[in-house]
Amino acid sequence: MKYLPYIFRHLRKTWIRTGSTVLGMALCIFLICVLQTVVAGISDALSGAATDRLVTRHRVSLVFPLPQSYLARIQSIPGVKRVARSNWFGGMPGSGKPDFKNFFPNFAIDAEPYFAMHPEIVIAPDQMRTFMDDRRGAVIGQELVDKFGWKLGSTFQLTSIIPPYQIGKPFDFVVRAIYTLDQARQKGGSRAVMFFHYDYLYEATNQQAGVGTYNLQIANSNQATAIEKAVDSQFENSDAETKTETEQAFLASFIAQAGNLVFLLNFVGLAVAFTILLVTANTMSMAVRERRKEIAVLKTLGFPSRLVLSLILGEALTLGIIGGVLGVGLASTLISNLSKIPGLGAALQTFPNLGLNPRVTTLTFVASAALGLSAGLAPAISAFRSNITSMLRQV
Amino acid sequence: MSAQPTPGPAGPMVDVRGVRKVYRRDAEELTVLDGIDLQVPSGEFVALMGPSGSGKTTLLNLIAGIDRPTSGAVTVAGTDVARLSESDLARWRSRNVGFIFQFYNLIPVLTALENVELPLLLTSLSKKERRERALTALKVVGLADRGKHYPRQLSGGQEQRVAIARAIVADPAVLVADEPTGDLDAKSAEDILNLLQTLNKDFNKTIVMVTHDPRAASRAHVERHLEKGVLASTVARHEETTASR
Repeated sequence: MKYLPYIFRHLRKTWIRTGSTVLGMALCIFLICVLQTVVAGISDALSGAATDRLVTRHRVSLVFPLPQSYLARIQSIPGVKRVARSNWFGGMPGSGKPDFKNFFPNFAIDAEPYFAMHPEIVIAPDQMRTFMDDRRGAVIGQELVDKFGWKLGSTFQLTSIIPPYQIGKPFDFVVRAIYTLDQARQKGGSRAVMFFHYDYLYEATNQQAGVGTYNLQIANSNQATAIEKAVDSQFENSDAETKTETEQAFLASFIAQAGNLVFLLNFVGLAVAFTILLVTANTMSMAVRERRKEIAVLKTLGFPSRLVLSLILGEALTLGIIGGVLGVGLASTLISNLSKIPGLGAALQTFPNLGLNPRVTTLTFVASAALGLSAGLAPAISAFRSNITSMLRQV
Repeated sequence: MSAQPTPGPAGPMVDVRGVRKVYRRDAEELTVLDGIDLQVPSGEFVALMGPSGSGKTTLLNLIAGIDRPTSGAVTVAGTDVARLSESDLARWRSRNVGFIFQFYNLIPVLTALENVELPLLLTSLSKKERRERALTALKVVGLADRGKHYPRQLSGGQEQRVAIARAIVADPAVLVADEPTGDLDAKSAEDILNLLQTLNKDFNKTIVMVTHDPRAASRAHVERHLEKGVLASTVARHEETTASR
């Protein structure tokens, strides 16, 4: 502790260099923090995927709908337990311009098979009955209750941003059920989603709506690969070829769109960290080189080489810790305000648990300290090994 | 500051016997000191003189324990410094030797008081005790009122006095000074030499000083002249120095 003022004085003396290094370190930690939070969010979302659920979509892109006729054909494939149609509705509250600020995910689904294959979505039986009896019924999550103040019986309107679902007037809905999530049954899930009857969408669009995805539940998850092939081979060489994959793979491809996003994010984080390591190591080397005379004096006064090494490592560690605190603070502020950014906030609802979690915070603090120490290691060892008389002679 | 204990009733404070120092550069060997014998009794003020390259500073570094002889023995305050490990030698230096550099070598980011306090950080003294001792040392050199000044705010003479305060604050047995007046004007040099004499006389510090300046050397009890790594001549002026005090 008694050497702390010595360390701080040196950092303060070259405050421009110290400041720029700390800022660089903070930026690095900020990026790692944000990237790791996204990686954690993706992993969390993927871990919520069940192994007995498959998703069938258009082979080319999710944008293209599949024919209604596929429902019966998929249901007839051996090993398929349930099939539910599911369409991303893209509805915005109100009847006018799209209100991205209040956007939330909403899906048109075949309610009975869909909820049967998603046991993590828990709906009280009486609410479920009311919902099933009302064509305009909607099931909403607690976050929507909190955000919009809706309750059972509340009515609201949504206007889709997707052209085939724009029918010249908004869709009317009545809140008939409020679901909760049972994480013990299945991890993941979001509390900010709204579900409504697929048939309502189909009829409102004059039976013009196709099917976004067919969600399948299979009897035996070990047969997933075989069933995927069986489904896709059914529609080979048709106008709408399909791509069937596990829910996890579907989510991963949906989230990443292409390639391994998690790998990419981790790689970017490592690249940034390595760059900052080089910059900080250079800064520390310069600092030590400029102070060769001072190091010689300290050793002459009786400071053991190990103590000199510790002082330099302490300086590097201080840079790392200050950068880490700033970076984590910056990341925390940004991440906690992401949901307030119009458009982006809604998109991020795919990651229900997105936030700076303790694991990421600890990881980045350790990373910042390790970066600082690593950067100071080479100059500290050089100072440790240096000979007093040769250092005094060089000055 | 206490009067210094002598290493023993018979032993000198500094005892250099048969010391050789050879530097190797690739295959070439350069003998800087060749069979040096030097004894400095406790409480003596010795000036080492000689032309550049004669080995004065090398001999001073050996006495201060910041370098090791190629052969021979260097015993200071009863300890054969060549036999100590690196960490033991560092600890020994902090307790037994005060080093005064030609260019002061104060730490620029620390105040005068903090510079003087620096060697005491290696002790178990409390912060309050360290501050008190550092202030006492600054008083001895006449700079008690400059404790909060940074080196850049002091004149060369004042910086050297702070450096002397730093050298004496841990109450070492021996002070070694490498051209302590080499970077100073005549008036400041005179002040520094007076201070060194006071430390020698009033606090019984054993001083070994390297200098080119005959006037500085004249303040010492004994002048030893080095020529090409060998002690060539000795001038003793105990009586006249004592008389001049």
